Amino acid sequence: MDPYLASVLTNMTLIAFLAISAYLVLVVGEVSFGQQAFFGIGAYLTASVTVLADGHVIWALLTAVVGGAAGTLVLGLLTIRLSGLYFAISTLCFAELLRFSLLQTRFTQIIDGRKLGPDGPEGFSNIRWIFDNHFDATDFLLLSVTCLTVLLLLLFGLARSRLMLQARMVGNDPILAQSQGLNPTHYRLGFITLSGAVAGFGGGLFALFNTHIEPAMFGVMLGVHALTYSIIGGLGSPIGPLIGVVLDIGLLESIRQLAAYRMIVFGGLVALFLVFRPEGILSHRLVARLKRRWGRRHV
Amino acid sequence: MNTLQTSLDGLMIGSTYALIGIGFALVFGIMRRINLAFGACLLFGASLAIYLEPWLGWGVWGLFLVTMVGAALASAYVERLCFAPHTKRTQSMTAMIASFAIWMQLDEISSQMLPQRTHAYDGLEMPTFWLGEIYVRGDQLLHFCIALISILLLYVLLYKTRLGLLIRATADNPETAYLLGVRVPWLGFIIFLLAGILGGVGAFMILSADGYVTPMFGMWSTFKGLLAMILGGLGSLPGAVIGGLILGIVETHAGASLGAEYRDMVTFGLVFLVLIIRPGGLMGVKIYRTESLAQERI
Repeated sequence: MDPYLASVLTNMTLIAFLAISAYLVLVVGEVSFGQQAFFGIGAYLTASVTVLADGHVIWALLTAVVGGAAGTLVLGLLTIRLSGLYFAISTLCFAELLRFSLLQTRFTQIIDGRKLGPDGPEGFSNIRWIFDNHFDATDFLLLSVTCLTVLLLLLFGLARSRLMLQARMVGNDPILAQSQGLNPTHYRLGFITLSGAVAGFGGGLFALFNTHIEPAMFGVMLGVHALTYSIIGGLGSPIGPLIGVVLDIGLLESIRQLAAYRMIVFGGLVALFLVFRPEGILSHRLVARLKRRWGRRHV
Repeated sequence: MNTLQTSLDGLMIGSTYALIGIGFALVFGIMRRINLAFGACLLFGASLAIYLEPWLGWGVWGLFLVTMVGAALASAYVERLCFAPHTKRTQSMTAMIASFAIWMQLDEISSQMLPQRTHAYDGLEMPTFWLGEIYVRGDQLLHFCIALISILLLYVLLYKTRLGLLIRATADNPETAYLLGVRVPWLGFIIFLLAGILGGVGAFMILSADGYVTPMFGMWSTFKGLLAMILGGLGSLPGAVIGGLILGIVETHAGASLGAEYRDMVTFGLVFLVLIIRPGGLMGVKIYRTESLAQERI
């Protein structure tokens, strides 16, 4: 496959992890502007394990998942009293705090005559895993698409489960959920932690693919984009965030010759689109209707 | 004496944050919405001012006027496209995402108007002087006064006029106000214009004190405004003023004692702490309590 196309597609898959992680928070009725920080934590942890500790990539990604989950769990516990906009802003602050901490993180070592490790604003260079293991762009695309597919299958399994229904009830109406004997706090904490794990994993792959990461990559813009993808795609199905990513990055890359004006057109189009479909493409209602029609044909 | 000097500098900067914070608080207090594109509107106003300056040739006051008008127009445009169509209570998220999309759009338009990274933004030539041991920049003092006057004018508008009465009624209870004949959608438009004008004044003061504009200004001012509002308390206008002043003072102190790289970290940390310990902010406790009561009916 053409390396350029492969790298665009890989980028889309990696951002999809972040979009899905934003989606998982939205399921329980909260908005997070901070998922990019856990993406960043995953990236830094993976880089550290593969480069500094010379660990296996499986361990590296596992560390990223645990790190991301731990980060969101801490955030979730700290903000346990907050909801709505208060929660959204606190995630923003937390994420920026983490990013500023990354900016101050200097832990470089000389390995094989090269200076490696996180170096403040310079970031973390020379993550040579894909070169050492002779991965080219297409191989890595296959790897990340496989991971994304597994994640989506898991989420589809989850979507049919009782757990997901209950989580959605908590998201739609916490009071109603409480009166049904559910504890909203548990669902919120659980899904927020899960979202961190997904973001961390995506960040780990991102570090391996990019071979160089720096704190500036994990700014608020990235997180808000991920959130936008979920909203455009719709919250009716785990595929929704993916559709948002494909629409945005896919369209952006395909009208590259208009680079200068593309955001002017695209931003306006998104706002207009939301006027006509405020719930995104795959809304709960559309998914329910599709399911009914599909079910009738097959029963 | 150094502490006093730093605090004074912080107060001067804080007064401009207060104006931007008021822009957010007005919109949030009345519509329960966050306009993420607010900073981009200010950037648009400033870019338009620089873009038109060679044709108009009105000097600094031209910059001031065009920045204000441009920001207000952009703000009104954002209201029409992102907030007017999404009025249901559950649609605040959709409106916020739509405003984010317009943020990107306005950012891009601004960087088309200003192709270089930094552009000079003239300020008024004012003498600087020493007040005892304290060094005062004349233009900053003037800005402080302008901010004070703007806030006073807003106070008069809100508490002494009929329009202000309508605005306060809507902020209290939009449904009742609507039933009593307030044209709530039209009021939303007015609020966005007002926020744009105040923000434009704030943007002029910040940019002319700095002397330049960069494309980062949009994001920067969105954050400052949001943090000022949250610090003071969501939707509370006095809160936004106090929050802005505190933000300015804390920021200058942190910058002076810890260095520039820790300055933003301290502000974000402070806001995070305030949110955790006192979720309603310093002043907006009442709103927070009524809202959380509404959530916990059972």
